[in-house]
Amino acid sequence: MGEPVARAAVRMTATASLAGGLRRWKPTTPSLRARAVATAVEAILYLAITIVVAIVEFYAAGPFSDFAISNWWIGFVVMAIWQGWHWAGAQTPVGSYVDHYIAETNGAPACFWCVAVRQLTRFGFLYALPVLALSGNVSVILAFWIAAGIATYLTPGHRAPWDLFAGTQLTESLAIERSEALAEITAPADFRLSRQRVAENRRARRIMLIAGMSSVLVSVLIVWNIFSEAWQFVAADEFEWGLLTDIGWFPRRNKFDLATLFVGTLWITGIAILVAGPVGLGVAIYLSEYAKTNVRTIVKPVIETLASIPSVVLGFFAIAFISPDILKPVGSVFGIDFGIFSLLSAGIGVGILSVPIVASIAEDAMRAVPQELREASYGLGARKATTALRVVFPAALSGISAALIVAISRAIGETMVVFIAAGGSGGAIFEANPSEPGQTITAAMASLGAGTDSVAGSGIAFQSLYFLGALLFVITLLLNVFSDAIVRRFRQVY
Amino acid sequence: MTTTTPGSPETPGSSGPSLSTGRVPLSFDSLKRRRSQDSFGQVFQGLLVLSVAIAFAMVLAVIITVVYDSADVLFSRFWEFLNNRSSSDPAKAGVAQGIRGSLIIAAIVSLVAFPIGIGAAIYLEEYASDTPMTRLIEVTVRNLAGVPSIVYGLLGLAVFVQGLRGITGGSSVISAGLTLSILVLPIVIIASGEAIRAVPGSLREGAYGLGATQWEVIRTQVLPAALPGILTGAVLSMARALGEAAPLLVIGAAAFYSTGFQGQLEQMQGAFTALPMNVATFAKLPADVWSSHAAAASVTVMVLVFFVNIVAIVVRARVSKKLGR
Repeated sequence: MGEPVARAAVRMTATASLAGGLRRWKPTTPSLRARAVATAVEAILYLAITIVVAIVEFYAAGPFSDFAISNWWIGFVVMAIWQGWHWAGAQTPVGSYVDHYIAETNGAPACFWCVAVRQLTRFGFLYALPVLALSGNVSVILAFWIAAGIATYLTPGHRAPWDLFAGTQLTESLAIERSEALAEITAPADFRLSRQRVAENRRARRIMLIAGMSSVLVSVLIVWNIFSEAWQFVAADEFEWGLLTDIGWFPRRNKFDLATLFVGTLWITGIAILVAGPVGLGVAIYLSEYAKTNVRTIVKPVIETLASIPSVVLGFFAIAFISPDILKPVGSVFGIDFGIFSLLSAGIGVGILSVPIVASIAEDAMRAVPQELREASYGLGARKATTALRVVFPAALSGISAALIVAISRAIGETMVVFIAAGGSGGAIFEANPSEPGQTITAAMASLGAGTDSVAGSGIAFQSLYFLGALLFVITLLLNVFSDAIVRRFRQVY
Repeated sequence: MTTTTPGSPETPGSSGPSLSTGRVPLSFDSLKRRRSQDSFGQVFQGLLVLSVAIAFAMVLAVIITVVYDSADVLFSRFWEFLNNRSSSDPAKAGVAQGIRGSLIIAAIVSLVAFPIGIGAAIYLEEYASDTPMTRLIEVTVRNLAGVPSIVYGLLGLAVFVQGLRGITGGSSVISAGLTLSILVLPIVIIASGEAIRAVPGSLREGAYGLGATQWEVIRTQVLPAALPGILTGAVLSMARALGEAAPLLVIGAAAFYSTGFQGQLEQMQGAFTALPMNVATFAKLPADVWSSHAAAASVTVMVLVFFVNIVAIVVRARVSKKLGR
């Protein structure tokens, strides 16, 4: 402490670079203790302010008082990430009061006004702007934060821009330049990574980490939003559990009969698997065991074409071809009257959509079975069909069942085909007959969502959208976890 | 043919271990005969071929139905259909707004989802060590890929339409683009991750041996080598984003709207629609008048998706050729 810090830093970095290269170089100001104290104090301060503001907001019953995702919360998350990222290594306002020497430039103390201006601007950016964000128009502030983040990022040592603004470009960066100059003269430069390359490397890693965290962020957002809104549906005054068992699904009249939707979803899923299972597995076995290379080069792209057809188109296909040209003639033979809209027609459409899923996953699983197994089977005199059915198929069973489960999960989540072809509109009476129109979970959500604006004001109908979303999320998540578990449990490692 | 006939004693050892060395009279003909007697095998193979034929028939039926039904519109007023706005008058209705929306959505997806997705894949494959955090990221990516698209619509409704109304302007094409970006993010991550994992380790080790930093290894060796796979994944996810309608329905894509005298920016924040939404809208209207419109819009979507897929194939071929593989 007795020695001017900058000089000490220069001396330390110079020796460090001579001893082991710049990679071991650590910033020397301020002291670790001071930084730890300062960071802790600042975090506590910030949290306290946040909590106070949140409480005020909650009891003032302002426009965002529902604790759902509001501008304030988004601002808070952005702020917290940014602060956590940049602050730990940089100086803090409190820290600069604890260790005044941060504001020294090359040994000479910065002027009092510089320090004061810096602290004021920093407090403004840190604490005043989030409070301003409560006023609702968050876009300007968000844009400013992003700009400030970029500026922070580009400044040496990741200082906040207002540090430079206040004339306190600090000892660290000066020290680095000096040590560079020293190292140029003294060190065998070729064995040393240049500071720029090291910095670039570190920056790249950091950016990739942020990108990697995006999926976690999305998951958290999904779970948080959907379940908080679904909770509001359950916790609403109008809600009672009896509403979930009624004569049908009429959200605008507060009739939320889940059985109606579950029956529809079960029919759609069952029909889809009946269509996609045999066809998809047949294609998979053919492609992996029977097809010669030139046949494969034709069949494979056709299956992929089927995969790339948008689901709306299949919805239209269901009402334009499956219902009038297939179901009607066939139904009239058996004395069943099919209309244009029916669960069966939509189920077949979903089934067509699921064929490529089953085919591609099952084929991958069967091709992964090692050739030795087939050769051993042939060597024992087995026929080709026996080899395919009793050797390859069981060996690939985990992948094949995973394919079927993924197809089921996709069929449950498929929306547009059902929305267009199953004929459910705003509501549906309980109907267990697949030749009649029906409603599924997803189609009910689509009908609710299509009238988003008009639903918004009418009681709890809007929240029922999220309630269904939460159900759907849980069901598909369980199916995915289940298929993962099957693959892991029964996979044969070759 | 005579030289390859098994069982001819003149050519012992001429083509490796010959079948004729054994005492069993195992000839090509006898094998063929056994195959023709295998009735179960033939039925089984017949069933397999039948299932392939059914799959072919499905593809053909979809394409033929759609093209046939669209003839009314596409052959009589092709350019008007592509250039007109949506309208409640069947003689005037077109998909110009849908095409515009879809193209903007594609641009937003490629600007948002591709960099983030590829970056995440690089992090997972190249940087991340096996920590609980890494495993958490991997599990969430895998589960996100299985979440139904309409749930992403709910997310977009809550975050982009209601939360960030100041930026996106509510139910706008910006919200739609961001929602679909999140939707395809896991697909991009998984596809890019597989492409990066396929890059041989020797490439990396060679670059490290020459003194490159990790980022330089990734930038100059791993990414170029994985580029064909990454591009394929990216473009396939783009095709998915272009064909997706359910999330747009939830975040409030409009069936019919007029823009009035708005500037470009205001239009970005205003009402929007996309091609799949056009299809859904037309398909929900009375079929006798609107069926051909739905079919024509379907053709437009499929041509767009097909075009994107072709671009993927061409780009992959060119990049692979440039890399000498």
